[in-house]
Amino acid sequence: MSILYDEGQQAIATESRRALEARVSKDDLLPLLQTQGEYHQAFWSTAKEQGWTALALPEAHGGLALGLVELGLIAHQAGRTLSGAPFLTSSFGAAKAIELYGTDEQKAHWLPGLASGDTIGAIAFASGADPLPAKPAVTLTGDRLNGVAGAVSGGLFADVAVVFASGPALALVDLTSAGRTAVDSFDNSRCIADLSFADTPAETLATGEAARAAALHILALQAVVTAHEQTGGAEALMEIARDYAVTRKAFGQPIGAFQSIKHRIAELYGLVELARANCIHAASREGAGDFITAAAAARLSATEAYDTAARDCVQIHGGIGVTWEIGLHLHMRRARSLALEQGSSFFWEDVLVDRLAGDEG
Amino acid sequence: MSDLEAWRAKAATWCEAMVPTFGKAARKGLGVEDDLALGRRYQKAKFDAGFAGINWPTDLGGQGLGHIEKITFEAEEMKHGFPSFYFSISLGMPVPVLMQFGPDREFVKERVLKALQGEEIWCQLFSEPSGGTDLAGLRTRAETDGNGWKINGQKVWTSWAQYSDYGVIVVRTDPTVAKHKGLTYFWVDMKAPGVTVRPIKLAGGDSHVNEVFFDDVKIGDDHRMSPVGGGFAVAIATLMIERYVATDSAGFGPHLGLFIDLAKEVQLNGRPAIEDGRIRQQIARNYAMRAGLDSINVRARRMMEAGMTPGAEGSLNKLVAVRSRQKLSELAIDLQGVGGFAFDEHASPKDDWASSWINAPTGRIAGGSDETLLNTIAERILGLPQDHRPDKGIPFNQIPA
Ligand SMILES: Cc1cc2nc3c(=O)[nH]c(=O)nc-3n(C[C@H](O)[C@H](O)[C@H](O)COP(=O)(O)OP(=O)(O)OC[C@H]3O[C@@H](n4cnc5c(N)ncnc54)[C@H](O)[C@@H]3O)c2cc1C
Repeated sequence: MSILYDEGQQAIATESRRALEARVSKDDLLPLLQTQGEYHQAFWSTAKEQGWTALALPEAHGGLALGLVELGLIAHQAGRTLSGAPFLTSSFGAAKAIELYGTDEQKAHWLPGLASGDTIGAIAFASGADPLPAKPAVTLTGDRLNGVAGAVSGGLFADVAVVFASGPALALVDLTSAGRTAVDSFDNSRCIADLSFADTPAETLATGEAARAAALHILALQAVVTAHEQTGGAEALMEIARDYAVTRKAFGQPIGAFQSIKHRIAELYGLVELARANCIHAASREGAGDFITAAAAARLSATEAYDTAARDCVQIHGGIGVTWEIGLHLHMRRARSLALEQGSSFFWEDVLVDRLAGDEG
Repeated sequence: MSDLEAWRAKAATWCEAMVPTFGKAARKGLGVEDDLALGRRYQKAKFDAGFAGINWPTDLGGQGLGHIEKITFEAEEMKHGFPSFYFSISLGMPVPVLMQFGPDREFVKERVLKALQGEEIWCQLFSEPSGGTDLAGLRTRAETDGNGWKINGQKVWTSWAQYSDYGVIVVRTDPTVAKHKGLTYFWVDMKAPGVTVRPIKLAGGDSHVNEVFFDDVKIGDDHRMSPVGGGFAVAIATLMIERYVATDSAGFGPHLGLFIDLAKEVQLNGRPAIEDGRIRQQIARNYAMRAGLDSINVRARRMMEAGMTPGAEGSLNKLVAVRSRQKLSELAIDLQGVGGFAFDEHASPKDDWASSWINAPTGRIAGGSDETLLNTIAERILGLPQDHRPDKGIPFNQIPA
């Protein structure tokens, strides 16, 4: 099943777009790349003011009790303006992990802050190339966490993390007493950090196979939000390419009249629309038995759309496309960082095929 | 149960009941003539049961329902492999155009009723040897002849012309004006003296398309369906009529599940192919593409139910699905190794990989090539410039051949 957005949802899309376009400019974004440890403050304060951080969390804990569909609409607009701070996704993932697997005390302690946006959450599942490793680099022994969770998006500012640890176990850790080292990345606006734990106190959310299933579920929720963001980025690039192709001239005509240019943009239209359709479908399947399948499809098509759009849009611009100033590289960078954040395409292809072939463990 | 659900249930029940008489098993081994005869009986049964001309006006024999009921029925119908494709062009474009533009209403009514009951078939005579994509570039001409017209020239790729009773045709009536401006739209009697139909055998082995020759074919002015010189607009209307045709994210080839079954059965390097990363990637990508199209289609249906007009993204289906069907079919043949050589000319492209593969290219050409579809998306949806057209504005007879 797929859905039609109702009036309230359309209003969320329009309002978030208006708010973001008013507050975000390329000139704010470029400097973020040159330093470590800065995120897009204007975006995050907008997110807090507008209640986006509270949107998909339960009312009992300060949330607005909407869902993935609404959050997805906002992520799409954030992707269009390139403004998203990693926290919109990872704080949501951390909050969902606490909501779904935490105790009443843990919920009461963490969720109101995550809903207001004053608390920042992170998800630390990956070890190296593996988004959900068989042997996680971090170990949970009793209520102590040890080891290093590498390259955690948003990790530089997070107050609390949900960690996939050996056991396997899903652990909740207050980051006040964790070590952090900034990672210099091609997309520094993601505020990536290595988090190190040395007998750091932690609480258990789930253990054994249940922990793995829970982690996959959280990753899938985040992947759907990210897929919306990727689709928004791809859509923006398609429009930028279109606008450039009708104005820039060569050989006495707009470059958009050359089929090699024109057809590339038409192909982007196809990729964007497929990704959008898969996103809408996946968001509407939250809680259903085929949610992971739908999330994987959304994730794969959105990654393909954004990467392709980034490549082709730069190409269509010729020399100007590769300059620092015009900023298309912001999209190139973001396309790649989002492609990695919730697990690469290799991972989601496997998840999807296991499900289609009926072999999921 | 909503009205639409009730309609779907009724359609499903009826289709199930037709399977013993008209289903795949009943058609197995039939030659074209016998299959067509079966098809005519099927079309009549459909008419009698109230499933023909679902969204056509009741005074012309239709059911007066909406497009949503039509595609709902077709989704059920498509599951069974009934012999309905003989009428797909006929009822798809020419007859609806006749309903809209046919000058003599009594004649129109009679034709529509016969077409709906499978008694008469119409074809669409647009393409020519000199080019199909360039619809306005056609050379078949009609000259005034008393109070009528005389047609000379050649059409090609005409689906089902050999079984057709009538056809709609675009011809050049004035070569001295720019090419779009000198065309006129008529209907013709395919049995008229001077019409010769010659089947063309296609790569997959079947011969449903034809060359059609016109030698001094005389028609009355009452056959004219556009103003003289105003045929191009009606031709475009013809191409636009079935904007939301029945869609199939498999590109009218096999279901992805069949590929997964094959990949489980077949070994690659001593392991089941389903474990091979190259195969897995293709499956995953293919699924994501098909799921996207399915979601677009479901949303379009919901919009229609809600009385809205679906977006332009519905136009992606043919472009995206058929290309990927072609690639997946190649891969399925590869997976079977030398076992992949086997070929049965009568196998169905819906469940046979070799048949799907050999017939896939027609899907990428008929009804608009990939390039044409990309141009349409680029120009109509994205507002990109038209191609450079050196023949623009030049009188047709001065365009260098
Ligand atoms: C199975 C089948 C059934 C058909 N049934 C019918 C029918 O019933 N009635 C009917 O009238 N026609 C029918 N057709 C014809 C069909 O519409 C044409 O084949 C099609 O429009 C392409 O025209 P063409 O074959 O002349 O190719 P051409 O127009 O010669 O094109 C050759 C190549 O050039 C490319 N090309 C042409 N123009 C451009 C451009 N502007 N930009 C980029 N590339 C371009 C095309 O994409 C194609 O790749 C049928 C075709 C097939 C295969």
